Amino acid sequence: MELQLAWRLFKRELMQGQLLLIVLAITLAVLSVSGLARVSERLQVAINGEAANFIAADRIIDSPVELDTNVLELAESLDIAHVTNMTFNSMVYAGDNFQLVTIKAVADGYPLRGEIELSSGVTQALPKTGEAWYENRLGGLLGYPTTLELGNTELNLSAEISRLPDAGFNPFASSPVLLMRLDDVATTGIIQPGSRVNYIYQFAGEAAALTEFETQAKPLLNNSQRWTDVQSGDSPIASAVKRAERFLLLASLLGIALACAAIGIAAQRYCQRHYDVVAMLKTFGASSKQIRTLFGIHLMLVTLVGIVLGLIGGLLLDLGINQFLPAEIAAYSPPYSRPLLLGVSTGLISAFMFSAYPLMRLLAIPPLRVLQRQLEGLQFGMWLHLLLSLCAMALLGYLYSRSIALTMTVVLAVLLLGVLLSILGFAMIRLGHSVGMKTTNPLQLALAGLRRRARQNAVQLVGFSSALVLLLTILALRQDLLNEWQKQLPEDAPNYFLVNIAPEDTKPLNDFLDSNKIIATDIYPVIRGRLTHINDEELISRREEKDGIEGRVGISRELNLTYRETLPPNNEITSGTFNQADDEVSVEAEVAERLGLSLNDTMTFNIDNQSFSVKVTSFRQVQWETLQPNFFMIFKPKALEPFSYTSMASFHLNDEDLKANGSDLTANAVVLQLIQQFPTISVIDVGAMVGQLRQIIEQVSLSLSLVLALVLLASALVLIAQTEAGMATRQRELAVLRTFGASGWLLRSATGLEFALLGAIAGILAVIVAEFALYMLKTQVFELVVYMHWPWWGISPLAGAAVVAFLGMWRCRQLLNQSCSDLLKAG
Amino acid sequence: MTQEGELTILNGIYMDVKQGDSIAILGPSGSGKSTLLGLLAALDTPTSGEILLDGQALSGLNEEQKAALRKQKVSFIFQSFMLVDTLTALENVMLPAELAGVANAREKAENMLERVGLSHRLTHLPKQLSGGEQQRVAIARAFICEPKVLFADEPTGNLDSANGDKIADMLFALNQESDTTLVLVTHDLELAKRCKRQLVMDNGHLSEPNAEQSTTEHNTTKAANEEAC
Repeated sequence: MELQLAWRLFKRELMQGQLLLIVLAITLAVLSVSGLARVSERLQVAINGEAANFIAADRIIDSPVELDTNVLELAESLDIAHVTNMTFNSMVYAGDNFQLVTIKAVADGYPLRGEIELSSGVTQALPKTGEAWYENRLGGLLGYPTTLELGNTELNLSAEISRLPDAGFNPFASSPVLLMRLDDVATTGIIQPGSRVNYIYQFAGEAAALTEFETQAKPLLNNSQRWTDVQSGDSPIASAVKRAERFLLLASLLGIALACAAIGIAAQRYCQRHYDVVAMLKTFGASSKQIRTLFGIHLMLVTLVGIVLGLIGGLLLDLGINQFLPAEIAAYSPPYSRPLLLGVSTGLISAFMFSAYPLMRLLAIPPLRVLQRQLEGLQFGMWLHLLLSLCAMALLGYLYSRSIALTMTVVLAVLLLGVLLSILGFAMIRLGHSVGMKTTNPLQLALAGLRRRARQNAVQLVGFSSALVLLLTILALRQDLLNEWQKQLPEDAPNYFLVNIAPEDTKPLNDFLDSNKIIATDIYPVIRGRLTHINDEELISRREEKDGIEGRVGISRELNLTYRETLPPNNEITSGTFNQADDEVSVEAEVAERLGLSLNDTMTFNIDNQSFSVKVTSFRQVQWETLQPNFFMIFKPKALEPFSYTSMASFHLNDEDLKANGSDLTANAVVLQLIQQFPTISVIDVGAMVGQLRQIIEQVSLSLSLVLALVLLASALVLIAQTEAGMATRQRELAVLRTFGASGWLLRSATGLEFALLGAIAGILAVIVAEFALYMLKTQVFELVVYMHWPWWGISPLAGAAVVAFLGMWRCRQLLNQSCSDLLKAG
Repeated sequence: MTQEGELTILNGIYMDVKQGDSIAILGPSGSGKSTLLGLLAALDTPTSGEILLDGQALSGLNEEQKAALRKQKVSFIFQSFMLVDTLTALENVMLPAELAGVANAREKAENMLERVGLSHRLTHLPKQLSGGEQQRVAIARAFICEPKVLFADEPTGNLDSANGDKIADMLFALNQESDTTLVLVTHDLELAKRCKRQLVMDNGHLSEPNAEQSTTEHNTTKAANEEAC
């Protein structure tokens, strides 16, 4: 019987729109979670995939010795594809010319991610046995030979490489790359025991398998073996991806918290609406069990509809977003299981935990309410409601983020926000206490209304302002992140690097660039030198440390040193003062930390067999992702001028810019001219990589906008639910005022003003709290520049007033147009 | 309990209502009429004293047992109708029968609605019905389980006099047909006069001004009774 009754009640209420709010709230929570889980998983894969192109794999293990077979067996058992490559330096000879090159010996399967670009186009193939492919620079250096000698063997040069997927981003790489087959290495006879080679093991597979692989494989590695993934490498997008991930997670969690708030308010309203029904059922003799079962089933049906709609919505959201994604990402379909499971559990947890207390109150309604309408049963236990709601939020947050720390932070922040807003809201409403209770002026009537419902309004205020705070926070963060990325990769980001610029070429090169109206970065002199001592202590290499030699570990390779009078753009001093005297050096902060440097330490360098010492006087933060020439060590000109140097520079050039400057040439033609005019200068084209970076940022921006839209929806729902919650008392008051002759105009104006005032106060509170929240988030989580959002101080209260007044008036429109007797009957 | 201390609403009340009786409880607002109705109908519990309903003492019963008792023996009509506004007229009437596990609830409800002249309004929602029609639905709902006692709280209080008269006619007619005991709380003297007995509540005390006369009438003929009601 209860099932039948519950179904009937549910069917009728659903058709009459009575359940709209709670169903919508559950739908939104489920939609957000399931949709976002899937979309962000897809975007994550896309972002990582793009990023993986920078390392030609998903994970890499670098090792000076061959890797233990059990690591490779582990990868195979987890269905992870792997390929073994080797790199080493060697001399190659072409007739009378010789050149030091970096040999990259690869096996079938390379590259696991990304593609090799040849000057003739993209290829899926590898050099055949006895063949090698050369980097375009090498051709110029050796005079474009058809064969070259490497150790005991001769290799045919069969193709010119434009870009290797794991070329990385190192314009200093002084030796050009030669790509050959790993099987051919043995015939060269170059690799002997003790030769310095680097084995590169590349891995690619499903995300879950990779995580498992990482957990199991990492402990098997020794100190000399380095684990790299797309985020740990020097990939210029690492920090962009990390920030985007943090933002997505945070925004989704806040979105879920908002949707939960909407469910909480809607559940309360849902239960209040049934007070009379329960009283009536009890009067007609329904037992507690019957009522419990009836409403249990009823709520379950409501939840079920919310979940189903939410899952469909999530799916549509995913499909909709897919339309905007590049085909290869859209083609990737992450498994449905996680979003589905997350969606269903979100619906169940939020519906039942947020409804638990309102439901307890509903079931405790005494039958006597049929005669005494003011009776409401349970008058205690708000703390239980709060506790259950926070638990639900924590549980959902954890399910979604799988991070206890992040979940606790969000829950505590929400709690703090609630308490803070309650106190502020209550205080602000009480401020208007001295105003009289005249009913001729709409403003006074509105103020009186605010005061009369101070407690209820304070609760509404918390709802309104929480929604606004979260919205403002997400809006500002999204904008800041986008601006930040835009700043790093402006339209005119350098796409060409010039290295090996001889001192005598500097002036003619500048003239060439000027004549073509190309604006280059400053030209940086580059001097290669080795760091030998810190504070007179001789440094050892990692390899020596591994062999048991004791000492302070330094940097085993040669460094690119530069000098200039001023701090370069995009560099920021983190401590100390930039070089004042000739014997001072400014060190990049991360390398300083790795070397254990302190200010005033002495560093000794060796250049061309000459040693000299300088004092560390500043540490600098460098934005590696800006694609500008960046250096670990910067000296005063006097310190390095005695040494021979070459220079480097970067510039931006494309066909459109040239056309705009009135040139008929294409970018390629200009670069060709440059190469012909300056044959010793190496030109590195990083345009493809910049394009790739842009694509990643566009995808991330899309996901940020999507999350913003969902948070906006959740906020709107909270606002609507909150407006709905105060309707019953408002109706009674309107009835009384109407009866005593208040005109329609007065009531409409007063109601509109009351909502507008409430919205404006919520707007002010929201902007205060949002500025504070943004300060915390920017300094603690996102490492962004903090600034005040002054326009918000005007816009937020105005927008709050407009939106809340509109929602309130829209919801009250029927009440305001009803006749006095109708109002009284309904009330 | 109130902020000012203990408040006595009803005091020293003794009354005896016989099966098939119809009694009206009259009195000014705040005199305790509705409180008495709540106690008699096992919706509320007195702080002291004893109430017997169909021979069963209410004081020993817990809420569940009281609910079970109401289900078997009691029904209600309210001033504000108390219909479930999302259910149709038919579904509202079926409700008590379904709660009591009556097998042919739908058939009985249709029959009841026909008796109150609403067979053409079965699928209408309360808000699509006039006040008089809503109270007729409430009457149909009250009689569907053939209760032993029917409690009515100002059944015509929300209606104009023409509709109020119709409702009263219907109420008394059905009451008589079903041999139900009727306990009616009202301000309306005319309505009260149609009951066999009239009790007056004043400041928590109950009196029966026409006790002798009504008892005599009660003990005379059934025909006379019918006339009085």
